[in-house]
Amino acid sequence: MSEPVRVAVTGIGSISSLGHDVGEIWAALQAGKSGIAPITQAPINEVNIKIAAEVKNYDETKRFDDRELLVYDRYTQFALIAAKEAMTDSGVDFKKDAALGLETAVIIASGVGGWGTIDQAFYSLHKLGRARAHPLTIPRMMISAAASQISMKYGLKGPAFCISSACSSSNHAIGEAYWMIRTGRAKAALAGGSEAEISLTSQRSWESLRVMASDTCRPFSKDRKGMVIGEGAGILVLERLDDAKKRGAKIYCEMAGYGLSADAGDIVMPDADGAARALRQALQSAELAPDGVDYINAHGTGTQLNDATEVKAIKSVFGGAAKRLMVSSTKSMHGHALGAASALEAVATVKAIQDGVVPPTANYLGPDPDCDLDHVPNTARKAKIRAALSNSLAFGGLNAVVAFRAV
Amino acid sequence: MTEEEIREKIFDIIAKEARIDRGTLTLETKLEDLKIESLDMVQILFGIEDAFDVYVPQDDQSFKLSTMKDVVDGVKRLVAAKQQQTA
Repeated sequence: MSEPVRVAVTGIGSISSLGHDVGEIWAALQAGKSGIAPITQAPINEVNIKIAAEVKNYDETKRFDDRELLVYDRYTQFALIAAKEAMTDSGVDFKKDAALGLETAVIIASGVGGWGTIDQAFYSLHKLGRARAHPLTIPRMMISAAASQISMKYGLKGPAFCISSACSSSNHAIGEAYWMIRTGRAKAALAGGSEAEISLTSQRSWESLRVMASDTCRPFSKDRKGMVIGEGAGILVLERLDDAKKRGAKIYCEMAGYGLSADAGDIVMPDADGAARALRQALQSAELAPDGVDYINAHGTGTQLNDATEVKAIKSVFGGAAKRLMVSSTKSMHGHALGAASALEAVATVKAIQDGVVPPTANYLGPDPDCDLDHVPNTARKAKIRAALSNSLAFGGLNAVVAFRAV
Repeated sequence: MTEEEIREKIFDIIAKEARIDRGTLTLETKLEDLKIESLDMVQILFGIEDAFDVYVPQDDQSFKLSTMKDVVDGVKRLVAAKQQQTA
C-alpha cells in the first residue's frame, strides 16, 4: 500500500476586524489587541448590544470597480480579498498552470452568505413598497456566490461549492478540502470561509437569543457574558505536500487531520461528548497522541455554557496531557465571525505554528473554576508548537476540529 | 414624456449598462451586434422599468427586441398603455 497523501498549507489570506491582511491581523493577535468596538453597520441607538468586531476603514470602491461591486456582496468581497492574498502568498500561478487549475477545488464556507443583499431587498420591497427587486439580488445573495466568484477569478475548475454549518462552516470547508486532496479528488484547494452579516436585523436577532455580551468577549474568564459578533474572511491554499516541496514552495505547516461529529442533542446547547468525539477523531486521523499537541485554538465563544463544555470535552480527551496544553480563544480579539470563524482561527493557528507564538485569550479577568486549563490570558507566549488543533463547535451540535503539524 | 425623451433615456440606459459609446447607437443598431452580456441585459431591463415605471413583460410575443427602434417602440407602447390605465 502506498503512503497516504500528505497535505501542506502553502498560502494564507485574511481580513477581519484586526486588519486587512494576515500581517496586520497577526500583529494584533500577538499584541492581544481586540478589534471589538462600537457597532457602525447598525444604528447604534436601535440595538441593545452596541458592540461588534467589524472590518474597519474599509472602502469597497478602493478594492473593486463599479461593475464588480454590482455583483459582489460584502461577504463575497471579503472572500475575494482573502483569496487574492492567499494565492499571492502561495506563489501558485494558475494562469500559467491550467492543468493544475482543472484539479483545484474551491470550498468557501459561509453561515448566511449575502445577508446584506437580502436585507436590502426585503427592506425595499416590504418597507419602501418598491415595485421591483434589484436584478442582481439573487447572484449577490446566494451562499455559494463567493465560491463561484473565486473560481471564476482564478480559473479554478475542480470541485467548487459552499459548505454551511453555522459556526463550524469554515472548519468543515478546510477539512473537506483536506480530504479531497488526501483521496486524490483534487491536487490543490482554496478553502476557508467568509461572513458579513452585521446589520440591524442580524444584531437584533442575535440579541433575542440572549447569548451576546454587552461589554466585550472574554472567553474562559470569570464574569464572561457571551459572544461578540465579528466578520471577515480567511482562506488557505492547500496542496499535496510532495508537490509543494517539488516546486520549492514556502510551507507553513502540514494540515494533518480532521475530526467531525454531531451532538444530535440541542439546537443551541453544546454537548461535551459530541465535541470530544470530534477531537478524538482529529487526533486519530493526524496520528497524534494527546501529548503531541501543544496548542488548541478553542471555539471559545465566551458564553458560560460553551466554554465550560469545551473545557470538559478537552479534558476528557487529553486526560493528564490537558494540564500542559495551551488553550486560547482568539474570538476575544476578532470576535465571532460565525461561518468565517474557523477560517480566521485556522490562519491564527497556522501563524502560531510558523512563528512559535501562541496568541492569547484577551480581555481575561481571572480564572473560572469551570475553565481551569492554561488559557494563555492576555499576553501572547513564545512556545514551540509541534502540533495544534482548531476547534469549532457550532449551534445545532455540528462539530469540526482540524489538526495542523509543524514540518 | 415625449417620444424624443423616451428615446434619449433608453439610449442612456443601454449605453451605460452595456458600456457602449452612446454616439455609436442609432435606431437601426441591432441589439445582437452590441453583444450585451446577460447580466447587463437584466440591468438594462431593470433600468427601463425603473425609469418609466413600467413592467417589461417576459413572455409577450409582441415585444420582440431586435433593434434599438424595437426597444423604443416597445417602451412607448408600455408607457401609453400605462397612461390609458391611469387616465
